[in-house]
Amino acid sequence: MLPLAGGGRFCLFHPAASPAGGIGAAVYVHPFAEEMHKSRRMAALQARALADAGISVLQIDLLGCGDSAGEFGDATWSRWIDDVAEAVRWLHGRTGFVPLLWGLRSGCLLAHAALAKLPATPDLVFWQPVISGKQHLQQFLRLRVAGELIGRAGADRTSTNELRAQLEGGATLHIAGYALSPGLALGLDAADLAPRATRTRVAWLEVSGSDPPEVSPAGQMRVTAWQAAGSEVSAAAVAGLPFWQTQEIAQCAALIDATTAAVLRWRQ
Amino acid sequence: MHSEVVKVLEQTLNLKPTGVRMDADTPLLGAIPELDSMAVVAVITTLEERFGFTVADDEIDGSTFATAGSLVAFVKSKLGA
Repeated sequence: MLPLAGGGRFCLFHPAASPAGGIGAAVYVHPFAEEMHKSRRMAALQARALADAGISVLQIDLLGCGDSAGEFGDATWSRWIDDVAEAVRWLHGRTGFVPLLWGLRSGCLLAHAALAKLPATPDLVFWQPVISGKQHLQQFLRLRVAGELIGRAGADRTSTNELRAQLEGGATLHIAGYALSPGLALGLDAADLAPRATRTRVAWLEVSGSDPPEVSPAGQMRVTAWQAAGSEVSAAAVAGLPFWQTQEIAQCAALIDATTAAVLRWRQ
Repeated sequence: MHSEVVKVLEQTLNLKPTGVRMDADTPLLGAIPELDSMAVVAVITTLEERFGFTVADDEIDGSTFATAGSLVAFVKSKLGA
């Protein structure tokens, strides 16, 4: 438990197995709502793989998530960014290494935003990054109106615009079993995986159902923008199922191998 | 673009390859049992993330998902092509 504002944050620490003291450190930043639960196994497998390779990993459950203090409805986007920065501080103190930030989906947006709160620029690992927080919020709001999308005519149905207006008016919405506070939704809405002015090393990894696997057109455009801004981005796609959303819990061994290899390249 | 959209449909709905190629007139909504309201949301989400656009709800209704051709036409209109 990491004692932070609003109560303890549940953390899992995977110390580097070898060599003694390890060769680096990483903080995992989980995705949003149901995607966090679907991806628990993959996060645990990757954390162990990195620890075995000498990279100490800290997994933090953000405020109101998993086994941490608070309810989901208490969470705000800025509180989550602070949680990530605090996790980095703790792990840096513990290991002596500047931890890289490894995010999945909207966790990439949080990791990106946390950089502004950190003294040194860490390396970044993006797993299937959400590029636009606005798009991600829209998709979450759409879960509430899904049944109406293809049924009723335009004028009769509740729209995501109305839900957005309710959030802007200060209302908490209940969607898919989650209490979504304005402080969380509007922060997510404004988040964007914008290229950084500071040169940053990024491993951008996507899971693809195509054969051969390919980075999505939208992802490739953003990678190119980051590279043009001076960052060192290596983008790759591996074959597999979208484990953060599949009905059955899925694994993707190729993603774990590619991630560990990318991290170890930085440590050479 | 047609084959890209068909690929998204097949992958998102986990359709078994039937050997029949979807053409523009292939009916979707009401003809493919896997395509329920949550699957429609999943298809929209996948198209948004793959191509990098955002769909407002008043841009789509049942007619968007009437046939493979109507869905392709919608994606093209979003991409301004």
